[in-house]
Amino acid sequence: MKKTHITLLLLVVVAIAAISATFINFSTYETFNSAAKEPGKSYHVMGYFDKGKGIHYDPKADPNKFTFYATDKAGTQHEVIFINGAPPRDIDKSEQLVMKGYMKDNTFVCSGIQMKCPSKYKKDMVVGEGA
Amino acid sequence: MAAEFIGEHLLPGKLGYLFIIVSFVAALFSTFTYFKAASTEKTDLSGSNSWLRLARGGFILHTLAIICIFSTLYYVITNHLFEYHYAWSHSSYDLPGKYLLSCFWEGQEGSFMLWMFWHSVIGLVVMRTAGKLESRTMAIIAMVQVILGTMLLGLYFGDSIQIGSNPFKLLRHAMQDAPIFSSPNYMNFIKDGNGLNISLQNYWMVIHPPVLFLGFALSLVPFAYCVAALWTGDYKSFIKPTIAWSLLGGAVLGTGIMMGGAWAYESLNFGGYWAWDPVENASLVPWLVLIAGLHTLLIYKSTGRALSATIIFLLLSHLLIWYSTFLTRTGILGKTSVHAFTGDGEALYYHLLIVLGWLALIGVGLLLLRWKQLPRIKTEETTLSREFWMFIGSAVLCISAVMIITITSLPVWAPLAKKITGKDFAPPLNPVATYNSTQVWIAIIIGLLAGLTLFMKYKQTDAATLWKRIAIVAGISVVMTVLIGWGQKITTPQYVVMLFTSCFAVVASIAYGLQVQKLKFRNLGPSVSHFGFGAVLLGILLSSYNKHAISINTTGEVLNFGKATAEEEAKESRENELLPFGRAVAMGEYFATYIGDSSVPGKDRRVYYKVRFDRMDATAKKVEEQFMLYPDAFINPKGNESGLSANPSTKHYWNRDIFTYISMATDKTKADTSSYHEHQVKNPGDTIYLKAGYMVFNGFRKNAQDARYPAGPDDITIAADITAYDVYGGSHKMAPLFVLQNRGESLYRLEDTVKLMDLYVRFDNFNVKSPEDISASIQTKQTDPMDDFIVLKALVFPYINVLWLGVIIMVFGFFISIGKLITTGGKTRTGVLKAE
Repeated sequence: MKKTHITLLLLVVVAIAAISATFINFSTYETFNSAAKEPGKSYHVMGYFDKGKGIHYDPKADPNKFTFYATDKAGTQHEVIFINGAPPRDIDKSEQLVMKGYMKDNTFVCSGIQMKCPSKYKKDMVVGEGA
Repeated sequence: MAAEFIGEHLLPGKLGYLFIIVSFVAALFSTFTYFKAASTEKTDLSGSNSWLRLARGGFILHTLAIICIFSTLYYVITNHLFEYHYAWSHSSYDLPGKYLLSCFWEGQEGSFMLWMFWHSVIGLVVMRTAGKLESRTMAIIAMVQVILGTMLLGLYFGDSIQIGSNPFKLLRHAMQDAPIFSSPNYMNFIKDGNGLNISLQNYWMVIHPPVLFLGFALSLVPFAYCVAALWTGDYKSFIKPTIAWSLLGGAVLGTGIMMGGAWAYESLNFGGYWAWDPVENASLVPWLVLIAGLHTLLIYKSTGRALSATIIFLLLSHLLIWYSTFLTRTGILGKTSVHAFTGDGEALYYHLLIVLGWLALIGVGLLLLRWKQLPRIKTEETTLSREFWMFIGSAVLCISAVMIITITSLPVWAPLAKKITGKDFAPPLNPVATYNSTQVWIAIIIGLLAGLTLFMKYKQTDAATLWKRIAIVAGISVVMTVLIGWGQKITTPQYVVMLFTSCFAVVASIAYGLQVQKLKFRNLGPSVSHFGFGAVLLGILLSSYNKHAISINTTGEVLNFGKATAEEEAKESRENELLPFGRAVAMGEYFATYIGDSSVPGKDRRVYYKVRFDRMDATAKKVEEQFMLYPDAFINPKGNESGLSANPSTKHYWNRDIFTYISMATDKTKADTSSYHEHQVKNPGDTIYLKAGYMVFNGFRKNAQDARYPAGPDDITIAADITAYDVYGGSHKMAPLFVLQNRGESLYRLEDTVKLMDLYVRFDNFNVKSPEDISASIQTKQTDPMDDFIVLKALVFPYINVLWLGVIIMVFGFFISIGKLITTGGKTRTGVLKAE
């Protein structure tokens, strides 16, 4: 076997080891209830913003915190405390939320949110009908 | 049907679609004729030549048609023809002219057009320069143009199958169900377009997509040359042009990626130039593989080794561009990326999948077909040879690409993983840390090899000279590492090693350029680009290792974080700071004060905030340095009635950047105007306390003159002399005026204001009990500073200029190499022949 082949083989082994090591870092999508089984451990939870209950943000008290209510895919609703900054734009318009965080005392402590906003076509429809 | 509607301009759309059809048919024709030219080349040369002439004509016609499509769409956008869906959804009347071009790349169709445009320009160059490989390379390029052309066709088969999307689609066709289109004069109701996404209204967004797409387009040429080489079985003539095009592709794609980083840094508020976002990764990975392919091609050129690896890498690089398109355009990344495009749904998903499969089939199929015939060298390379280590370096780059794309592609493989493991995989909780912790090792190896391989010679290196040079370079690098590491307090072991190898790459490149190449400019390509690369690594390390927020909030309630939550998370969560109007807040070594805004929002609702930064001398208590930053934000931007969209403002020093952006601001249009408060003053020295600052009454002044009120002969004017003190220690003279007109027939009051303090003072009345006992009622109005505030995040990026400079130098190095290749003429090194 050539030296190059041996070295390549070694590199591939190392690479596979490194990739599998990152698998340990991969998180999983959970519901509020399944996340509550391990309080304090962070997961991804998919859910929907409760428009009726709105956002509570008081930057004078704490500019890094706001709270809202979200319903997860299983239909359970919990209060979400976001501890990572100001409310993102259009959160109240979002179709779906992916929240990073953990359950603690019946609330979801959240450090990151990704929003899925209504697609362009859906928005088109609304505007068109309204016009 | 069309005649039923009033006020539409249908001609541009019809013309535009005609041009689309022409460009598509011309590309198809060109592909076919180039293919015929290639296949008859060996049997019937004159017949082949006539096919070639037809093919060229077809491709030139195709290019002209694309230019016409572009011009027509530009006409539709600049004339605000909102009957067209594209103009309506991506532009509006108030869009500044300089951003009209950005409308092209906000939409799916426009960016495919841009991509096609670059391919056709590149195609024209290849047509003129490829010589005997023209028919084959151009057959591939024209074929890809046909494929891209299908993206614009907008053909429908039944309800479910759609091929491509026509950029000239009418609004009423795009939204057929909307009731408005049942009235013939619907154009009267369409007052304005939807407008351009505000995060795209930025100069980086005007220049960065064309550069990035040129980079994407350039990856096609090495792909086409490799296919052509496999097709003919001639593995020599493709070497030189492929090196040149790979260099150009590497330079342009690299520039495009970093311009994207600069855009993110300058105008997005995700706090940096690189976030390992899937969209960023998707453009980085093809670049890594292209660079790997470039280096193995250099090995092949000089030693005849590594041909199969070269072809694999270069084919893969272009396929990865299509894979990136698939990832970013179909919405499959939807839930993992911050800025993935909105998906165009299933039609595009399968369309791109078929394209990817077809191109992979051509590349991989041909490679397998020729695998046995590829020239190879039986002997083994020596350990002390440039080719050996350069090959290892290329392999490491490729492995890095595999790692990054595996993690990025999570949404692609997660459904399969769920079936096997039952787990619903999500991206890492802290993606940046995950990528950094693996890629730091890649950076270490590549940094080391970037320096090391320069000193090696192909085939055999003299060990004694090599070790001597390495020893010197390593010695200097150790000193640099110690100095920088100590100065910047870099202590994590793997980052110290990375610091060392980055320094090593930098020092080795300088040493090689000086000592071996004797600064002969045309040969300096490798040393300059490796120097730039080393500087990029160094810049990344320095700017991200000590990146820190100076806007740490300490006023809020401290949350009790669970043990499992990273300490980092806790720190992260407090990086926003509330800045009430006019109050200095400590930020790092600065005091930041929000002192005003552009108050009258433009029609695009953009507000600039004035934030003053003062650096105080601790002992002398005087301001040592003062500067202003103007972060801006769109408050309740159009179509988004809540929240804001912010653009950062950055103070650049040579050795660090102070990067700020608005997280939240009060909406002035909704704020209530505060009411007047009444105060009584009598004796000089009486003090009135304000919401911010205070005022001292100095006494009355009779028959006061005021430029704003020319007093008549029968008027009695009295001024209240007041000094207002603001919270910064400044004082302001004020003299609100009280006038008895025509000896008391009527009253007139003239207010005085201090703009800086947002203070209004009115001399309302006075009360005379005796000549010695005169009191006055003074009314003041001042906005409550706590009602006017911004929430600011401020980050420090140390030595980020090293990164930007490194990129520029690296790209410059690529161009030196291209220059050398072009001016060398047809002299290919004879290494291949000798090796055989």
